[in-house]
Amino acid sequence: MVSVINSIDTAHEDMIHDAQLDYYGTKLATCSSDKTIKIFDVKDGQQTLINELQGHDGPVWQLAWAHPMFGNLIASCSYDRKVIIWKETNGTWGKLYEYTNHDSSVNSVIFAPQEFGLVLACGSSDGSISIISSSGDGSWTAKKINNAHSIGCNAVSFAPYVSPGALLDPYNKQTPVKRIVSGGCDNLVKIWREEEGEWKEEKKLEGHSDWVRDVAWAPSIGLPRSTIASCSQDFRVIIWTNDGTGNDWSHKILHKFNDVVWHLSWSITGNILACSGGDNKVSLWKETLEGQWVCISDVNKGQGQVTDKSISS
Amino acid sequence: MIYGCIVAFQASAMAVDCTGQFAVLAGRKVMTLVDLDNPTDRVTKLTRQSKFDISCVQWHPYPVCGDLFATACNQRLDLFSWTSYGNINQKCSMRGHSRTVSDLDWSPFDVNIIASCSVDSYTHLWDIRDPKKPSNSFQTVAGASQVKWNKVTNNLFATTHEGDVRLWDPRKGSSPLQYIAAHLSKIHGLDWSPDSETNFATSSQDGTVKFWDTSNPRQSKGVITSGSPVWRARYTPFGHGLITAVVPQLRRGENSLYLWNLENYVAPVHQFVGHQDVILEFEWRKQAEGLKDYHLVTWSKDQSLRIWKIDQHLQKLCGQDVGEISDSSESDSTSLPYETNGSSPPTNQEMDFQRQMSASPEVYPGQKPRTLEQEFLMVNVAIDNVRVDELDVSTRTCKVTGMIGNNSLKLVISFPNHYPIHGVPFFEFTDILVDNNVMLRLLKVLKDTANRHARRNCLEPLLRQFSTTLDSLSFQTEERITPDTENLPAFSPFYLPYSRGDLPFVKFGSRLDSHIPFPRTSGARFCSAGYLVTFGRSKEAQKGSDYTPKAMSDLNSLVQKNKMRPHQTVPFNFAAYSRSPPTAQPDITIATYYYKSGPKKNRASGKRYSADVREAETKKPNIAPVKIYDSSRLLALHKILGEHYIINQSDISTMCKHNTSVAATVGRKDLVQLWSLVALTADKRLQSSDDPDEGPPWGRHPFGRNLMQSLMEYYIKLRDVQTLAMLCCVFWNGQELMAPPPPKPQQSISVEYSTPPNYNPYHTVSSMSNLVKGLQTLPVANKLADIVSLLSPPLSEVSSHPNLPELIQPTNQGVMKLKRSNSYSGFEIDTIDNDFKLEEDEEDVKERQEQLDKTAHENYCRMLDPVDKNKYDEYLRCYANILDCWGLKNQSREVMKFVSNAPPEHRGIEFSVYCYKCSQPVRGSQCLSCKYPAFNCAICHLGVKGLSNFCLACGHGGHTAHLTEWFKRENECPTGCGCQCLKAKIHISLQ
Repeated sequence: MVSVINSIDTAHEDMIHDAQLDYYGTKLATCSSDKTIKIFDVKDGQQTLINELQGHDGPVWQLAWAHPMFGNLIASCSYDRKVIIWKETNGTWGKLYEYTNHDSSVNSVIFAPQEFGLVLACGSSDGSISIISSSGDGSWTAKKINNAHSIGCNAVSFAPYVSPGALLDPYNKQTPVKRIVSGGCDNLVKIWREEEGEWKEEKKLEGHSDWVRDVAWAPSIGLPRSTIASCSQDFRVIIWTNDGTGNDWSHKILHKFNDVVWHLSWSITGNILACSGGDNKVSLWKETLEGQWVCISDVNKGQGQVTDKSISS
Repeated sequence: MIYGCIVAFQASAMAVDCTGQFAVLAGRKVMTLVDLDNPTDRVTKLTRQSKFDISCVQWHPYPVCGDLFATACNQRLDLFSWTSYGNINQKCSMRGHSRTVSDLDWSPFDVNIIASCSVDSYTHLWDIRDPKKPSNSFQTVAGASQVKWNKVTNNLFATTHEGDVRLWDPRKGSSPLQYIAAHLSKIHGLDWSPDSETNFATSSQDGTVKFWDTSNPRQSKGVITSGSPVWRARYTPFGHGLITAVVPQLRRGENSLYLWNLENYVAPVHQFVGHQDVILEFEWRKQAEGLKDYHLVTWSKDQSLRIWKIDQHLQKLCGQDVGEISDSSESDSTSLPYETNGSSPPTNQEMDFQRQMSASPEVYPGQKPRTLEQEFLMVNVAIDNVRVDELDVSTRTCKVTGMIGNNSLKLVISFPNHYPIHGVPFFEFTDILVDNNVMLRLLKVLKDTANRHARRNCLEPLLRQFSTTLDSLSFQTEERITPDTENLPAFSPFYLPYSRGDLPFVKFGSRLDSHIPFPRTSGARFCSAGYLVTFGRSKEAQKGSDYTPKAMSDLNSLVQKNKMRPHQTVPFNFAAYSRSPPTAQPDITIATYYYKSGPKKNRASGKRYSADVREAETKKPNIAPVKIYDSSRLLALHKILGEHYIINQSDISTMCKHNTSVAATVGRKDLVQLWSLVALTADKRLQSSDDPDEGPPWGRHPFGRNLMQSLMEYYIKLRDVQTLAMLCCVFWNGQELMAPPPPKPQQSISVEYSTPPNYNPYHTVSSMSNLVKGLQTLPVANKLADIVSLLSPPLSEVSSHPNLPELIQPTNQGVMKLKRSNSYSGFEIDTIDNDFKLEEDEEDVKERQEQLDKTAHENYCRMLDPVDKNKYDEYLRCYANILDCWGLKNQSREVMKFVSNAPPEHRGIEFSVYCYKCSQPVRGSQCLSCKYPAFNCAICHLGVKGLSNFCLACGHGGHTAHLTEWFKRENECPTGCGCQCLKAKIHISLQ
């Protein structure tokens, strides 16, 4: 069910902390503790190093590709407290913007759905979340949610775009609402909503007993239901769901792993969740027709093998 | 500034007496009394037998009882006195705590009172005349770590409990006066301001020092942020200064004291470098009579006692008004009384008095010179083609090996005694393998560099220059990548002083790593459409511990615990942010946490093996290649289907036939069946007639809409967006959907016109929202257009108005109400024409009802329920996005065609008119205040309701027809304003 189509030796000098393909799946960006970001062309099985971006003064934790309608843009966040937005112009990459308004390591960065324009959010160990938007003329404005998570914010994720008048807000709301989910060292998952330009806490989700390491808002395919996954230092992954009618979220523990779970990723249709953690393993989880979450395969990266558990039929 | 240094004792605590002459060093086995004026030979010892360390010791602050000092050992307080040299007597013990005493403090106002606090959650006050029991006790929930009396006012002391501070008045009984939540982490130290009763400073594990005013305890007055936990922060007895001691993690790294001017929380004014281990305690000596300098006594875990002279320069930096600075500071090193003893052999085996070089601080603007020792510590030795072999402070030399081509070149740099203030280093080549010319050239370059950096530290610039010169001299043609200074880490201590003209101060400036989660070293991410990217550690990489660390700060201790040696041990690398890990230990990277587990070789094979391993490690970190998986089959997405599916609503049977065969190629049997089914249900012969009287349409058949509905539900559960969207493409066309939602058949429909007697504008607002609610699924504008067209011909021109919502604005006149049973209650429209009156018309109502019935029927003819229109749009959008990701742009646009368009937002210029009668701004064509058409034609002088044109230059215009006629012959404005309207060339048509 899952087959390796490419394997890239990045030649990073230190641990890799994130690797992402662009919108079209033709370019791979990786970031590492060696303070660099590397971009590879992986189209049709290639693995050519296109560029190495240097500019961070510390380990680079996370990356995000912007939607191609804004050009080839990458945002990166680092231990050096900076968020850098890189842009490719005529094959060369350069810094487009540098955001330095955090007082501690910036742990997470993500672009908003492209319908909102060029907007990105980042969460920092100083406890705050910044929402940075481009006005289109080269200037950037930032809104900061101070003290979003006491001690530190570890992850942010944008809610999918829901067209106005549609699913979640059928009435009244003429403009689509931006929402962010964040997780932090206060063991909480929080949902934030933008209201008249200000970000307000909409919901606080309590369920984890240790630092929340990652949160991921599932993509929407047109259903009113919203789903958020969160993982934590307490080895648990929790799936939070909202039926689209109110502000109540119910939760279900997906699984308790044997080590910290520090990364989650939803598939584009929002039905498969990839969990990875301190044990260097990746497991894929799928919701069955009955609404149960089952592990469908373990991707053991060390050996590059995929062991199918249930998808033989 | 280092006055002296004693190496001795197993002491854990230190205190200086009130005269400033003696210090007591208290340890587990011995208590030592040191004469600070004569540290080498005046020592008194008292051996003690205890298995517990002395946690703290303090001299009595008053000369009256100057012979007394108190120690805290485990749960007990002991009071000692010394009468003459060699005699330390224990006076009494005070027992009352049930756990270790964490701190004690003599009252500065009552000679008999001492306070002690303990982790047992009690703070006791003792009267030393009655040591049997505490004279007063205060209990808290949490154990206390510090107790400190206010230095200005009596009867006030503070205790710290984890991150909180409590203020107490012993007269006020058992509850604290104040409670201050100061820090999020444990407070290590608290110090009251020496001159203000309301101010104190706290230092904490969270890496900050905060300043507080008890009159405003909600917020700290200021914060100093450090990269490491701050052990102590104490005010200086002069100026507005503060001394901080940090706890480097794992007690490695910087063991410096910092001196701050409290006017500036960003950077310290001075750093005291010298101790090899954590500074445990520091105290001020009482200023000796007639001396302008202050002395700071420090005791470190490296078992050395140092006395630092704070001369007037430094005092001035802290805001102390010292007047004219005497020149005596220049000669400070010779004025020390025991300077001559320095060379004499130590009288005590345990003691070793060392002379330290001292440099008087001459302050240069923007840059402060460092001692050679400091410079050696800070120098960045990782320089291309130059290897630093030896840095020797005692001989003041630096030995370097340079590579020139394949030849090596040894250089000895010796620094004169007064360097860097006076004198430049000397250079000597020892191992010459290059010809004389080259050597002379190198010498010249080095000397020039040294001279350029006169009176400043120049080792690093020298090494850099040496490296680049060697490079340029290199006979090899191989291209060498010289380090680009711009790309070098800004945090590297070397670059700071030279690039920013500032002291490298890397420890302060970042928050604690304990808040930063341990970074991910593996992960998987779904990217684009159906790719799964994984990264991680190699198979051989083993974790350094059973569990994965939580925070970055855990890394250090774990690495240490496992005695894993970082692969590159750079001897003097001082960078706090060296490669990756922002930990106090410079050369640990996250990769060091993981070690290679490779096949266990015989340990006896010795050094060679480990060297090989180390080499291998440095070359290849434990990183597995990044892998890209194709997971699209898991997601039920097929690029092939996306590429080859065809969409053709006009010929559904062909479309289905084609798509069936396409589905067969990817092995989706269910889709093969689905497409055959679709072909059957979408058969042309089943097309319903337009007449509702010919029986229920096919859509109402179980194999019609119901079948589709259940199919959709199934594929929603599978999250098969591709199939969902394709079904929509067969049975749905958002573009042609312009009809209202189907009313329930039983509902009667009536249209009623009325002018509400007591009209309330708010009613309109609510009915508007009701309207939207009732329509729910349709964009408002489409809806309006629809309803409006239903109503009557005179209103039809309204539908073309660019700003439709404008028309729904409430007025008191001509309100029309359209009521359709319970689906929505009221709907008012501002009629455009003043003279247009609505009248009831039975026939119209019937006609309209028929029309609505018909649309209801049409809706039932559809195979997909229009109620879920938004869902269909979302499926289509989602699928179009996936196609886009696949690079199938044509297919993506094809799918997007079926999305029902939301009304485009108004963009661009909007013109408003000032009413020619009452000069009110008007939007639309009619003035709201005088009810006349706002825009007057310049030619016929009548109001314009239809098409109009006007000149952007002069603002005049009129009926399009009139103007066309006019400008056929004329160039000027018809009003005679003199404007050459045609030449202005900006005409905009306004409806």
